[in-house]
Order: sequence, then C-alpha cells, then structure tokens
Amino acid sequence: MYQFDWSSIPGALPYLWQGMLRTLQITGVAVVVGIVLGTLIAVARLSKSSILSNLAALYVSGFRSVPLVMVLLWFYLLVPQIISSLFGQPGLDIRLLSAFVAFALFEASYYAEIIRAGIQSVSSGQVSAGLALGMTSGQTMRLIVLPQAFRRMIPLLLTQAIILFQDTSLVYVIGLAEFFGVAYNTGNRDGTLVELLLFAGIVYFVICFAASMIVRSLQKKLVS
Amino acid sequence: MISIKAISKWYGEFHVLKECSTTVSKGEVVVVCGPSGSGKSTLIKCVNGLEAFQQGEILIDGVSVGARGTNLSKLRSRVGMVFQHFELFPHLTVIQNLTIAQCKVLRRGNREATEKGQRLLDVVGLAAHAEKFPAQLSGGQQQRVAIARALAMDPIAMLFDEPTSALDPEMIKEVLDVMVKLAQEGMTMMVVTHEMGFAREVANRVIFMDQGQIVEDRPKADFFKSPDTDRAQQFLSKILSHGVQT
Repeated sequence: MYQFDWSSIPGALPYLWQGMLRTLQITGVAVVVGIVLGTLIAVARLSKSSILSNLAALYVSGFRSVPLVMVLLWFYLLVPQIISSLFGQPGLDIRLLSAFVAFALFEASYYAEIIRAGIQSVSSGQVSAGLALGMTSGQTMRLIVLPQAFRRMIPLLLTQAIILFQDTSLVYVIGLAEFFGVAYNTGNRDGTLVELLLFAGIVYFVICFAASMIVRSLQKKLVS
Repeated sequence: MISIKAISKWYGEFHVLKECSTTVSKGEVVVVCGPSGSGKSTLIKCVNGLEAFQQGEILIDGVSVGARGTNLSKLRSRVGMVFQHFELFPHLTVIQNLTIAQCKVLRRGNREATEKGQRLLDVVGLAAHAEKFPAQLSGGQQQRVAIARALAMDPIAMLFDEPTSALDPEMIKEVLDVMVKLAQEGMTMMVVTHEMGFAREVANRVIFMDQGQIVEDRPKADFFKSPDTDRAQQFLSKILSHGVQT
C-alpha cells in the first residue's frame, strides 16, 4: 500500500496561493480580452463586407485548428521581441505577457463562435424594429441585438471560462509558476508529487464544480 | 407625402413586386389588402427601406428612399412602423422601449423623452404599465406599446404591417381603437390588414394586391360597393363571409 505523505502541503500553501492568483489573473485577462475581441470578430464575421467576414473566418478557423500548447510556445519563443517592443517595460515578465496574449487571442476565436451564435439567435424582426426607429445598424447591434444575445449566452460564456481556467495549467510549458506549476515543482522538490497533484486536482475540481453549479442555476433562471 | 413609382422587386428569379405605383397624401389613410403572398408586406417594407427594390422610386416627403445619397436612418426616424409581431425590445422596460430611440436617434434628454413616453402610454391606455417588461403584457397591450413607441418619434407618417394578425380575437379591438383614433386625428397612414371593418371606418382608399401587382386602388366606397376585378370580388366575399372582421 502506498504511504501518503501530506507533510509538505501546509508549508507550500502560501506558494500555492500565489500560483492560484496567477492562474486567476491569466483566466481573467483572457476572458475579458477574449470576449471583447470575440465580439468584434463575431460582428465582422456577420458583416456584409466579404473581406471582413473572410478575415474573421480565417482567424477563427486558424486558431481553432492548432493546439493551445503550440500557440503558447509560439508566442513565447517566436514573438517575445514584438511583444516587448509593444508593451515595452523592461521589468515585465515576458512569460506572463506572452501567456496573456496567447490565451486572449486563442480564447477570442472560441468566444467569437459562441457570440456569433448568440447574435444569430436574436430574431431579424428585432433588427428591423431598431432600424425602423432610425437607429444605424451599429446602434441596432449595440443597443438591441448584443444585450439580448449576451443575456442568452451567459451560461455558455461561463462554461468556456471554466474550461479556460483549467487550460491555464498549460503555461507550465513556458515555465510560468501558476497553480499547477507550483504544485508540480513543490512535489518534485520534496518527493511528494503524487500528494501534491492529488491536492491540486481536488482544488481544481472543487472550484470548477462549484462554478458549473452556478452556471446551471443561472441557466434555469434564464429559461424561466 | 408617400409616392411610390413603378416599384419592382425580385427575390432571385421570383418577381415579388411588379411595377407597383400609388401615392398616399398627407392625412390620408390607405389600407392595403390581398391574399397572403401577394407582396403587400414587402411593399410596405420597401417604403421605409427595410426591403430593397431593384426598379422604380419611392419618395417620402420629397426624399428618395432608394437613392445612394439618402440618409436612410434619418428618413426612417421620421416614419413610424408597427410590426405584425410587435418587436418590442424584451430586455428593456416599456418606458425604456419608448425612450431609447428618442435619446439615441433624436438626441432628446432623458427627462424629455420619459415625459413624452409617459404621455403616449397614457394615450394608448397603458400609463400604469411603464415599468413592466414586454413579456408581462398581453399581445394587445404589447402592440399598443409598439404604436406608442413609433409615435414617440413624432413621425410624419405611420406604416402598419398586419398589426392585428398575430393577436387573439378579443384583443384586436383595443389595437384597432387606437389606430382609428390616430386616423381621426389626421395621421398619414398606410395599413396592411385584413380588417375590413377598420377599412370601412377610416380608410380613404383601399389597395388590393395580388401576385405582386396592385390590382385595384380606389376610394373606399367604390371598392366595397363593386370591385372592378373578379379577384378582388372573390377576396372580399371570402373575407366578409368569414364575418369576424366586420
């Protein structure tokens, strides 16, 4: 029988907490930027201009056709110069920045599809009503269509955020110490890898399970 | 006020509107009727540019709807439209439905817009429902809100696209009453409807459409007494023998 040794966990808790904050930071940035960018891409995809809609389609299918790990590595290995010249502070952690950018751009492609479906679920009669009142098509989208679309999409957007929260563990490939990375490193150092990964797994499970319960209750509320 | 000149429209190969021409003068009420699929809804949607047309010209107060340089949004803000399925904005309260376009399109202040909205809700008999959401109202109430919403823009003319077809019979009257009152106050109106009782009461002219053509366009009295064409006659006898509408 395997002898569990949980002794290294209490001492590691502050570091694990730091790691969790980083995980939440990456998730938060990717969700916010991803939704904003995803909305723009979705609107472009549905626009009458074939150039815009083709570009948006290319973006979406491009990012959805490569593994997230690869995007992360690309942004870390190939374009740190571009990123640092764009954001330019020497003190900034280039790994964290490339993680922000990679996740945000990658998630935008998934959010774009969710949001596009949401926009299309609003009836064309609503668009006609907005236009008939003298609104421009931009105003109709912003004031009439998007608020209704987002209301319907909230559960899907949150579910995507939960998936993203788990996917952030992939940043270990660029050596960034988020929650999973800290757990892994601590376990490796103390020879208690099994215990720490079990512990990390339980934490992920509790957070994600609680979040999806919230999503489910929201869903019920929105249906009724 | 509204002048439609030889409008033609195709959906691909399908010829929806065939050289339709008519005019609606200021203060006039024109009822458009005809069997389903005859193009009457398409025609009325062409008037404020919600549907494009390939040939002909529509002028509203001298402004061409289809022309390139026309500011369609501005033109539409001056022409009210009421839809078959109400199309109230479900995420906004009744009073917000009435103020949003006033504020965002006409740039009225919130207070002015709200006062105007309340006044119009009072006119359509729904002053007590300002803070409710559309889903909490009956169909007839929703359609009356939709009429008030259009009136809030101070339109020079009103278009109605089958305003009572989606309503339960007992709610049709409350909507028609509002429309009759509007007509009697001198509003210029173009109304697609099967409600011949409404046509009898307030219409100046009746247009009968069939297969994308305006078959008859005559003063109300003439139209009801003796339609020129067999098609209009058949349509009338069917709709009148049905009885509910009159």
